Amino acid sequence: MTVAVGVEQLRLKFPGEPDILFQGLTLQIPKGQKALIVGPSGSGKSTLLQVLSGLIPQAVEVPLKYGRIQRPASWGFVFQDPDTQFCMSRVDEELAFVLENRQVPRRDMEPRMREALALVGLSPDLLNAPIRTLSQGMKQRLALASVLLLEPETVFLDEPSALLDPEGTEQIWTSVKQALKDRTVILVEHKIDAIVDWIDRIIMLDEQGRLVADGEPDAVFRQHKASFERYGIWYPGVWDDYAASARRRPVSGSPGPSRNGPEPSRAGRKPSVLPPAFLTHSPQAAPGRAPDSRDGTSLGETAAGAAPPSRTGPDGRPLLELEQFEAFRGNACKLRIDRAAVAEGAWVAVTGENGAGKSTLLLALAQLVPTAGTYVLRGRTIPEIPNKRRVPEGIALVFQNPEMQFVADSLFDELAVSLASPDKSREELADDVRRLLGMFHLPDDPGRHPYHLSWGQKRRLSVATALASRASVLLLDEPTFGQDARNTFAILECLEALRADGKTVIMVTHDRRAVDHFATEEWVLQQGRLKEVRQIRRT
Amino acid sequence: MPEWLTPQKNTWLHRANPALKAALLFAVMAALFVTRNLVFISVLLCVYGGLLFLSSGHSWRKLLLLSLPFVFAFLSSSLTLALFGRGEHVLWQWGIVKISEESIRSGLAIGTKSLAIGMISLVFLLTTDPVLLFYALMQQFRFPAKYAYGFLAAVRLVPVVIEEWQTRTHALKVRSIAFSKGVKGAYERLKLYSVPLFAQSIRRAQRMAVAMEAKQFRMDQPRTYYHETPCSGIDAGFAAFVLGSLLVALASSYG
Amino acid sequence: MKQWKFTDVLVTIMVGIVFGVIMKFWDDFYTFIKPILPTLRQLFYGMWFMVGPFAFLLMRKPGTALLASVAGAGLSAFIGHGVQVLVYGFVQGLAAELLFAAFRYKRHNILVAGLAGVMSCLGSFLLDLYYGYADLEAWALAVKYGLRTISAFVFTGVFAYYIVKALEATKVTSLIRPVSPEEYEKLD
Repeated sequence: MTVAVGVEQLRLKFPGEPDILFQGLTLQIPKGQKALIVGPSGSGKSTLLQVLSGLIPQAVEVPLKYGRIQRPASWGFVFQDPDTQFCMSRVDEELAFVLENRQVPRRDMEPRMREALALVGLSPDLLNAPIRTLSQGMKQRLALASVLLLEPETVFLDEPSALLDPEGTEQIWTSVKQALKDRTVILVEHKIDAIVDWIDRIIMLDEQGRLVADGEPDAVFRQHKASFERYGIWYPGVWDDYAASARRRPVSGSPGPSRNGPEPSRAGRKPSVLPPAFLTHSPQAAPGRAPDSRDGTSLGETAAGAAPPSRTGPDGRPLLELEQFEAFRGNACKLRIDRAAVAEGAWVAVTGENGAGKSTLLLALAQLVPTAGTYVLRGRTIPEIPNKRRVPEGIALVFQNPEMQFVADSLFDELAVSLASPDKSREELADDVRRLLGMFHLPDDPGRHPYHLSWGQKRRLSVATALASRASVLLLDEPTFGQDARNTFAILECLEALRADGKTVIMVTHDRRAVDHFATEEWVLQQGRLKEVRQIRRT
Repeated sequence: MPEWLTPQKNTWLHRANPALKAALLFAVMAALFVTRNLVFISVLLCVYGGLLFLSSGHSWRKLLLLSLPFVFAFLSSSLTLALFGRGEHVLWQWGIVKISEESIRSGLAIGTKSLAIGMISLVFLLTTDPVLLFYALMQQFRFPAKYAYGFLAAVRLVPVVIEEWQTRTHALKVRSIAFSKGVKGAYERLKLYSVPLFAQSIRRAQRMAVAMEAKQFRMDQPRTYYHETPCSGIDAGFAAFVLGSLLVALASSYG
Repeated sequence: MKQWKFTDVLVTIMVGIVFGVIMKFWDDFYTFIKPILPTLRQLFYGMWFMVGPFAFLLMRKPGTALLASVAGAGLSAFIGHGVQVLVYGFVQGLAAELLFAAFRYKRHNILVAGLAGVMSCLGSFLLDLYYGYADLEAWALAVKYGLRTISAFVFTGVFAYYIVKALEATKVTSLIRPVSPEEYEKLD
């Protein structure tokens, strides 16, 4: 067995972080093997790839120590972010970049570029295309093509499908399987069901980067299924397990752990009242049928302490109505809805292709872009003062990148900004903050800086700030994008609990399963029009 | 190339070597920078204004539109100098305003200078592809690859930064953040925008640098070039043109 | 002094470029104020000097101030402010760089950053002398450059310092600062 890549007694520590990662990890990958590395977020999986390839310490300075290391003679690396993998603006220039680095003569460049594109299933006509015109899936394939130009023996792939929609995910895996058949592949992934049949070996690391499991996929899977769930990995069948299990977490209850550690075990909790969703085309359940709060701990009191709003408006009208509604970006009309309505307590999933107008819809509802036509919210016409747009009261928009919404340098201040009101004392404010932190399973550490939270926690914090501003309609732009299973379920459950409390949720998403399991209706957008409203019956 | 830079037709200026073109035009700008001679400046203004409108391959309408900011600059700086400039032969005075022969001359000089430099800038920007410029700088002038590709890579991310700026503005509205007035408000705005924007950009730049090194990019090592930027007769011609324009301007200013 | 990694180069250029974008918006913002009175504009002029010191406070490597300033100027020129901004960017960046060098690159406080801004301001004044912007009556000269100097100190000293501090608090700087030897020892 020839070893392609290996390391002995690896230890590594990021500057400023207290913990030592890997703590003496020893690992060897033979030539030709397809190895998958899994583990919880923060376990250093990406870091391990960078160490094995040599990017650490060549490109990034991180203190590390090891007994021995064997790096591959030739290697390539595919990263997860389609937008920062490239330095040039055009396909041919990007591919040429690799060839220039390798000092390939100019006349040999074009044939090699065409060949690489063909190997990943991209058309050679794309050579002159600007990269920004490619879909995210195509971009990742382009990244793979440029890696192939390195003629690597070993290819490292760091969550290549993490930021892709289902279509892009399929594209990249097809290309990977086709192009990397005969090479050594070391792969880190969260969404493993598309790739698990192709790999030879699963290596599982824990939060500290220590080896927990290592062997053939079936064996590892059987012996460590609980770990797969605990680490939030998207293994095949994870949604079915989730739906079938009685282990839906109530949102409030035990205070969250004080560090970014694993959540306490779920065994022994009372089963949730909420059964799995069934997909039918029956008429919508009457408004006001939202499930009761669960577990006795109620979100009946909003963070501000006010009583929950009534289920339907004072005159029985739906919460939100749109008629001949148009939204504009610049001078172009990007969205037109003839007629639509949202009942209080609904969970609307907005789906459609990229560019169909989903984000525009959210921006329009929040009055962040110019609109025309009729928009009635709780009986009031929006905008209330014609030609003066402001975010309607009760509406909060949660953006895809939670950091874009943070304004303070401590959790306390972050929530206090939205919670504070003149008639509230400092103690009351502190109590409200603590309650919100607990409700969203955020660390009970009001002094912590928002940027120091994990991505999932940041996401929950941004929803918490929306709630703190006394919003009753939550607009969310892809809240589950790029997250592991555990955080996905956590945020969806948070939203479900809020809905149980009378809030209305309108969510843009690509996640089919999230729609089927949580939404009450689906709005399908196509090219700026509302193509279909589909009711999803939840018993 | 950004859309507004794309010309209607390619002229000889487009085919000139970008790095040589840059060097020559820079030399003209340098000559303009230090002079006060109105005749010298005006001749060059006419020459390069003419070059812009006749040989850059863009429509006159677009060129006029793009020239507007420079006209604006002309008006504002010449006005300031005319009203408050240094001078002895006073023509009109009222309070702090003191218009003199010298101040008018200074005002005109600086105004035409800004306009002339504006014309030269537009000639360059509207006939040059940034990617080719950097390739030419590397090939003709041994410009370090790390800066060339670094700049190209960073510029690639500019649209993302602009979009994030917009998102940030939206998010601040959603959270009902209001700013104070004046300098304090300026600081608050600066801070509330800078922190997330720089945080994202720094991370992105870091990721991109790692990705580039993963493609075997190494600073200070020889490389081949995809876009080959040769020198040609056009460059000799342009050099002659530039030299000629400077000589004519010089001669006129003495005449 | 450790060598520059390519990451350092790209992050520095990026910081400069982001500033270039901000300056574009900033400029649009007060383009309308400009002709009214020289004074008001000068109060905000300090923004243009901020790039270099900001980059240095952020990354603490010799050369960052100059590189960032040139990169920012490059973007400004590209966006359409005229090619002379490249000269200004270079001279201003160089002035700040020399000031930081005078302190051996070891000081990162408000005073040093502010002084670097004042040096950049001085650089801009010298260039203005050549260009002609400084052909003013004595009192106007004093007002214009006096205000500009104050603005420089406020922006590059106070603002830049506190904004970098805020960025440090987010820990995004741990990726780009030089690693101290103690960090290596902790591995044993």
